[in-house]
Amino acid sequence: MAAIETSGLTKRFGSLVAVDRLDLAIDREIFGLLGPNGSGKTTTVKMLTTLLAPTEGDATICGHSVTGNPLAVREQISYVPQDMAVDPKLTGRENVIFFAKVYGVPRPRETADEALAMMDLASRADDLVRTYSGGMRRRLELAQALVHDPEVLFLDEPTIGLDVAGRRRIWEHIIALKNRGMTVFVTTHYMDEADQACDRIGIIDYGRVVATGTPAALKTTVCRDIVSIRADGTFQDELPEGVTFLGRTDDELRFEVDKGEEAGLALSRALTKGGMTVRSVSVRQPTLDDVFLALVGEQDETEAFDARRFRRILRGRA
Amino acid sequence: MRRMFYYMERDFRRWLRGRVNVVSTLILPAAWLIFVGLALPIRFTDNYLDFIAPGILVLTMLGASFQGGALLMFDKILGYLQKFLAMPAPRESILFGKILFITLRGLIQTTVILVIAILLGAHFLDPVLLLAIYTVLFIFGILLSSLMTTVALKLEDHDSYAAINAMISMPLFFTSSALMPYDQMPDWLAALARLNPVSYAIDAIRDLQAGIFPTATFLGLLVGAILVLLMSVTVFRRATV
Repeated sequence: MAAIETSGLTKRFGSLVAVDRLDLAIDREIFGLLGPNGSGKTTTVKMLTTLLAPTEGDATICGHSVTGNPLAVREQISYVPQDMAVDPKLTGRENVIFFAKVYGVPRPRETADEALAMMDLASRADDLVRTYSGGMRRRLELAQALVHDPEVLFLDEPTIGLDVAGRRRIWEHIIALKNRGMTVFVTTHYMDEADQACDRIGIIDYGRVVATGTPAALKTTVCRDIVSIRADGTFQDELPEGVTFLGRTDDELRFEVDKGEEAGLALSRALTKGGMTVRSVSVRQPTLDDVFLALVGEQDETEAFDARRFRRILRGRA
Repeated sequence: MRRMFYYMERDFRRWLRGRVNVVSTLILPAAWLIFVGLALPIRFTDNYLDFIAPGILVLTMLGASFQGGALLMFDKILGYLQKFLAMPAPRESILFGKILFITLRGLIQTTVILVIAILLGAHFLDPVLLLAIYTVLFIFGILLSSLMTTVALKLEDHDSYAAINAMISMPLFFTSSALMPYDQMPDWLAALARLNPVSYAIDAIRDLQAGIFPTATFLGLLVGAILVLLMSVTVFRRATV
């Protein structure tokens, strides 16, 4: 039995399908759910944390159904939503003791001290949270979440709005929790962080999970080499065989190809022939960003490039 | 039940740390007591302070409830409520803790006003009378704070809540029996005042002052409080599933 299992989990708001028949099994790992804004990440988390009732399907947490026995589910989980909700007028210690008491932990003070120490907050525990940095507040929320020793931890955008050092520190703590046997379900927008920290990743778009797997597997199966070309002008011609257009930012065009070095040359020739002025060509291995863009697509394309033609190619491939 | 007190404890800690907040709600009722209670030239009684004091005590509770009504809404807007709802404690204890906090905070503020009234010369020193007055104020506080918490939860918007607050709090006070007895009011005002729940609380306290136990008004308040509380629980459950 996996810590988190969903079967046909669906949420509809009127005619909008926010989450569409989700089937997942997650156990003792860090699972990252990635997707564009409005793709259904938070709705999924809310159903799994019993804050929202599914329209269809079900999910179990440690064997307890979120629809049949939500109370037992809440005993096993902790949920840290994205909006940093810690009381700024209370001290760090007071914030954590309050959670320990509400959870009904036998020795709230001692447990709170342990959780604070685990999150490296012991030295600042008696300061008002108002004086904490964003990273410290997030760690304080983790300390709150840990006081009842949950089996499953749900984190919604845990590093949003934090500086680089703060982010790295949060991930170190999350990884340490996983190593102690906790199952961590996390949503994020930061691909590089997901790549480094998550054991497995699910990519969700329009409520459907379009791919799951380890970051390495996704990179090799979903994406081939990436060729980035800086060029001006409009492209009117056909692309060479085996080349897929991925997207465009300003004057940079990205393509997916089989053999990067050779295809890069062929592509630049084709673009020149098609009426563009090529200024630079670079080839690299795919990152999770590319996987994401290949699966989800880019919402913000400029029209100077013949986008419709390449969209057609992209669709033909999918 | 214990969980309710933990939620309440959190609110008390937060309240006591905000210094301006602790005093600000006392200014208005204290001003009424001093500038109206002592200064207004009234002919129907020779101790207007004794007459107006129950009204001011109820006004203090009214202000406390209206101010506190927004608390649960803010917990929701700022994301605290989501975290609480994902915890295994009974969800209603969040609501009950909030209502209890608002009411008890109101009683503390009422006590300050009561002390000021006694210092100014009002007659409230009988312990049995005081106990009965606190009971009335407590029930009235539960009634109003559940009502305003529910209104705020329904509105989910601080500006609308502030507008409703400004719109109904003073009219509720002026159309009650706080400032004059029914026989001194014009007929239309007396009719309004007899319907106003704020008058119930004030009349109950005046009866207690006069040595009468106000069974009917007391029961009326109690039933009202229970009904509003039940409605509040229903709305809360619907808003949080």
